[in-house]
Amino acid sequence: MTDQRKYDNASGRRRAPVGTGKSRIIAGLLAAGVGLAAFAAIAAETQIFDPQTRQWVDYDRKKALKYWSRHQQVPEAFRRQIVDFRTAEAPGTIIIDGNMHYLYLVQPGHKAIRYGIGVGREGFGWAGIVRVGRTAEWPTWTPPAEMVERDPKARPWANGMPGGPDNPLGARALYLYEGDRDTIYRIHGTPEPWTIGLNVSSGCIRMNNDDIIDLHSRIEVGAKVIVLMQGAALYKGV
Amino acid sequence: MNAMNSLRLPVVAVATLGIAAALAGCVSDPEPTQMARTNLNTAPADLQLLCATATATSTGVEATKVLPLRSRQLDSTTYQVDLDAGGGMMSCIVDADGNVKSVQPA
Repeated sequence: MTDQRKYDNASGRRRAPVGTGKSRIIAGLLAAGVGLAAFAAIAAETQIFDPQTRQWVDYDRKKALKYWSRHQQVPEAFRRQIVDFRTAEAPGTIIIDGNMHYLYLVQPGHKAIRYGIGVGREGFGWAGIVRVGRTAEWPTWTPPAEMVERDPKARPWANGMPGGPDNPLGARALYLYEGDRDTIYRIHGTPEPWTIGLNVSSGCIRMNNDDIIDLHSRIEVGAKVIVLMQGAALYKGV
Repeated sequence: MNAMNSLRLPVVAVATLGIAAALAGCVSDPEPTQMARTNLNTAPADLQLLCATATATSTGVEATKVLPLRSRQLDSTTYQVDLDAGGGMMSCIVDADGNVKSVQPA
């Protein structure tokens, strides 16, 4: 299995968590103002309701894989659905609630399509306002050089892994830009659909392949993307 | 007297069962689509964005420069959202129905 957690950007470049430079300073100042709670909060994990025991239980990678093995789908809360969504944002805008692991595509009439997502693990979360700069179908994934050196399984893909069902970027990728600059963050598919609902990535937003194909078919290049994540570092420009 | 007691016991038992059933009915499970959460108790995304819109309006900061940073539930129907508005920190109170109650510097 590919260690997708470390390499979830389409460029394949290994990178530090967002929050370097100016944005990290801003985030640090904000943290100083509110104490450590804001950053400790990032470590909060998903819980799902167990109808059998009527208890909320932690939903970690192990339980997610077990659930997927039993049901071949994610818990219902993370499945694609139409929900009420009161907003002044224009239809076609993408709203990402990183804490709840939901991506909303704003629709007319105060509605939205809600999809389940996987997001950055602790320290890799970010928040900001960006846009879809370009998209790709079955994108190529190139592992970073240090991974190629360390992991024999990655060596065959040093020059790029062609798109396909085993590619870490899945069926589609939406490349997020700030102005005309690639942020290196993407919204993309995954060959590990059971990771939806978890904090697993290096900052990219992952969706199961059916959902990213659906989202890709509905959005326009240039679509506004608002990323909300409690206590996360701010992306530059906000 | 004995006849009265024998009559009361079933009545008490039925009443007890009825109360128990009623109480059990009061505790409902979340809808299947709502059976996920985190313990952060953040405000729903749409409420955070309503606060962002209200903050942009009240401060005159361009809407693309206003971003919710943190939120928390104050009580069963009210949330506080802290926002970055062009570099300045603002605090917004919004209720679960989407009514923005206040916007002020944090």
